[in-house]
Amino acid sequence: MQSPSRKPFSLLLALMLLPLAFTACDSTEPDEGPGEEELITKITLTLSAGGSTVTASANDPDGDGSGFEIDTINLASGTTYTGSIALSDEINGEDITEEVGEEAAEHQFFYTVGGQASNRVSVTITDKDENGLPVGLEFTLAVSGGGATNGTLRVILSHFDDDPKNGTDQSDETDVDVTFPIAVQ
Amino acid sequence: MMKSIWSACTIRLMLLLLLPSSVAWSQQLTGRVLDGEYQPLHGVHVFVPTLMQGAATDSEGYYTLDGLPQDTLTVEYRFVGFATVVRSVPIDNERMVLDVMLEPEELELEEIITIAEGASAELNRATMSVSRLEPEDLEKLRGQNLAETLTHLAGVTALTTGPSIAKPVIRGMHSQRVLVLNAGVSQEGQQWGGEHAPEIDPFAPVRIEVVRGAAGVEYGVGAIGGVIRLEPRELPVSPRLAGSVSMNGFSNNRQAAGSVLLESGIRALPGLGWRVQGSFRKAGASKAPNYVIGNSGFNELNGSLALGYKGDNFALRSYYSLFSTELGLFKGAHIGNADDLQRALRRGQPSVQYEFLYDIEAPKQTVRHDLFTLSGHYDLDSGDRIEAQFGLQRNRRQEFDAHRRYGDPVNDPAFDLTLATQTLDVKLRSIPRGSFFGVLGVSGMNQGNVNVEAGYLIPNFRALTGGTYARATWVGQSLTVEAGARLDHRWLKAYPRMNRRGDYARTTHAYTNLSGVLGTIWQFSNSWSVALNLGTAWRPPGVNELYNFGVHHGTAQFEVGNSDIGGERSYNVDMTLRHVGENSRVEISAFNNRMDGYIHLFPENEARVTIRGTFPSFRYEQTDAVLRGLDGVVEYSFLGVLELRAQGSVVRGDDRSAGMPLIFMPADRLTLGAAVSLPNLGKIHSSEIELESTFVRRQMRYPKGVDYAEPPKGYSLFNLGYRVEIASGTSVIQLGLSVQNLLNTVYRDYLSRFRYFVDAPGRNVVLRLRLPIG
Repeated sequence: MQSPSRKPFSLLLALMLLPLAFTACDSTEPDEGPGEEELITKITLTLSAGGSTVTASANDPDGDGSGFEIDTINLASGTTYTGSIALSDEINGEDITEEVGEEAAEHQFFYTVGGQASNRVSVTITDKDENGLPVGLEFTLAVSGGGATNGTLRVILSHFDDDPKNGTDQSDETDVDVTFPIAVQ
Repeated sequence: MMKSIWSACTIRLMLLLLLPSSVAWSQQLTGRVLDGEYQPLHGVHVFVPTLMQGAATDSEGYYTLDGLPQDTLTVEYRFVGFATVVRSVPIDNERMVLDVMLEPEELELEEIITIAEGASAELNRATMSVSRLEPEDLEKLRGQNLAETLTHLAGVTALTTGPSIAKPVIRGMHSQRVLVLNAGVSQEGQQWGGEHAPEIDPFAPVRIEVVRGAAGVEYGVGAIGGVIRLEPRELPVSPRLAGSVSMNGFSNNRQAAGSVLLESGIRALPGLGWRVQGSFRKAGASKAPNYVIGNSGFNELNGSLALGYKGDNFALRSYYSLFSTELGLFKGAHIGNADDLQRALRRGQPSVQYEFLYDIEAPKQTVRHDLFTLSGHYDLDSGDRIEAQFGLQRNRRQEFDAHRRYGDPVNDPAFDLTLATQTLDVKLRSIPRGSFFGVLGVSGMNQGNVNVEAGYLIPNFRALTGGTYARATWVGQSLTVEAGARLDHRWLKAYPRMNRRGDYARTTHAYTNLSGVLGTIWQFSNSWSVALNLGTAWRPPGVNELYNFGVHHGTAQFEVGNSDIGGERSYNVDMTLRHVGENSRVEISAFNNRMDGYIHLFPENEARVTIRGTFPSFRYEQTDAVLRGLDGVVEYSFLGVLELRAQGSVVRGDDRSAGMPLIFMPADRLTLGAAVSLPNLGKIHSSEIELESTFVRRQMRYPKGVDYAEPPKGYSLFNLGYRVEIASGTSVIQLGLSVQNLLNTVYRDYLSRFRYFVDAPGRNVVLRLRLPIG
């Protein structure tokens, strides 16, 4: 077999080796900053009745349950509160309430009262989306008269993407699911 | 003409030549072997398999076989770089003369112990369990992804995440326990999860081989559960432009797939060859028998370039391949928390009637894998060969979540990782000295992972791995013994996130360990052999196993890494019975794989309560496990017209410490096939009708109370296929029509991660067409 002449051969070799020129041993040191991730870290319920205001928060500072804290909601017997809920991402300093409001037709809150207080406390959603279905950023919370009791208020935010929102059923995409303790004085 | 090129097959042949003939016959066969241009070929192996007798041609191309019986003998003429010629010769005179012409072959074979040819070589193939997909098998399966293709081999199943993602499972093991060797280098993609499929072009012009179980010492630290080897075909040497066009259509997801391949040698520079190949696959949503699996389509675009030069005593080859895909994930599997999953399970089917669409929406993945290899060998004056291989890979994986609060879900990935890997392997292969030959090698790898956006699926890391190994083989008359050892060291520096505010820790780990293999093959008759392989292999923990932290979408499972875990070690015993007869073929393996420090996800006592709800929590832990099983294939051909095949696999995985079964082990399966060859009709030949049925049992062995749902019921599937070759001038057009899941059976497989939500795809009519070029 004849030997190839030198020139095309070295050209060929250069061509074969070309990709090596793009090799670099890059640093794997992480960049500064947390980056943007979809996260809700804090939920605040604000309940107002006759000039007095009750607030209660659920705070999950890393969004993964480490250091998760939930306040007890202290309610007065025989009172009807006007309520609102606020969601925020404390890490990125973003208010998520606004976004849920803008995409109201794709979101719905579900408020469920549990424990002994379930006979005494009821929640009614007062705001509606463009299709006339409940949203739940605004609601009324009514406590009937009686003695002291306690229970729980479970707040679920369903995200409707492919699942159609019908005002009654939850979706399979839960953005928020927290259970506040309730104490009725 | 050329320096003698030796192979495992050749070595055996050479050794066989030394064997004394026990009975003396007096007939002689002689002749001359020439190439296409009437030039004599020196060193061609002329071999009579039934007699285990052979000879080599001299520098003028002449050969002589003495002492032959009066019989009709099958004689094989083999030469590397040329198509093997098999002739049936009636030996009735004292001296028969047979001249043979060999044509250059474009599918040249590498001389690797596990890739050999011929009945004897088949029987002496490997001390491990090895299955191979021949080009004609591959042709039948063209257009499907790697895992789907490999499930046609005994012992291989697929772990799927919807219709668009499948990864191969070998004897119950997958992901980081299975090494994919692509063009000689270990494919380094983001193989952290079950939903990360290997980045392989299904049309790549390769031979595929699967080593089941710990795979000896040559492949490195990942090969604890098996190796999938994709060996590119040799480059052509003849200056004739050749190639092919393949076109596939799949009815179920209305998939179109195609590939073009062109290759040639160059007249001005003999020894130089090139190949260009490109392929695409475009699929819409798949359909289960009762509904569309929404957003399960994919778009794939792949290509490769190869350029090589083969000199007298050296060869150099460069290979570049690109794999790129965009794939959708079934939307109904994108759930919030554990309650959502329970709701979906109770419903048993998607909540929405999806329409068929080609469009891919979030959640989706885009992956791009670039692989470049430069490899070569040099033959020393002693005849020993030095081989070297350099590999450069870059894997970019972007995962798009269904929603994105601060951007557009379609354009802003939730995770964006780039894994860059450089590998270098150098080995010395010896020529036989006495009955011994061996390999000595060193290998090194430098790997870095960077999160492009500071997401947190896998932390940034740098890993340096180095290893050295030696393997020796002794070939006797009917016995082959091999032994090998390997030492590896891995150093890992990782940057796990400490909190969501951008604080990262910096940790380092170092692991050093030994692997070893001892194997033997005993060919106890002309057509039977038994192989025994004892191997111990080792794997350091993966970065995900050390540092994962967060919710796995689709399974609503909170996964926590464990930076204290060490490596896992396997002690594998594997026995394989092989038979290659005139009308039959058998390969059955039994294995017992003891794994110490087996790394798995273990449920934590307390669920994790977050603002999004409650998630069952799992932490990576180590235990002692054992995987046992049986797999194999039996084939029988009646008069070359009817071919029957039975193939099955059984795996039993147990947690020895906890005394309970391991989770997600493949269910027992049996495939029965019958193929009928139809008579040739003018230009129509090689036509064949094949019916295949696969029976999968329900998995009855699983840890109770860990999974959300019980393993699904067993199922049986039927496939029907027709294939034909149509001669057109000097070339051959291949056409295939098949129906998969013929009865449109509704089923769910235990190893489908989406079995909680949807049924598997239904009936699929597949059309395959392959046209030659040149």
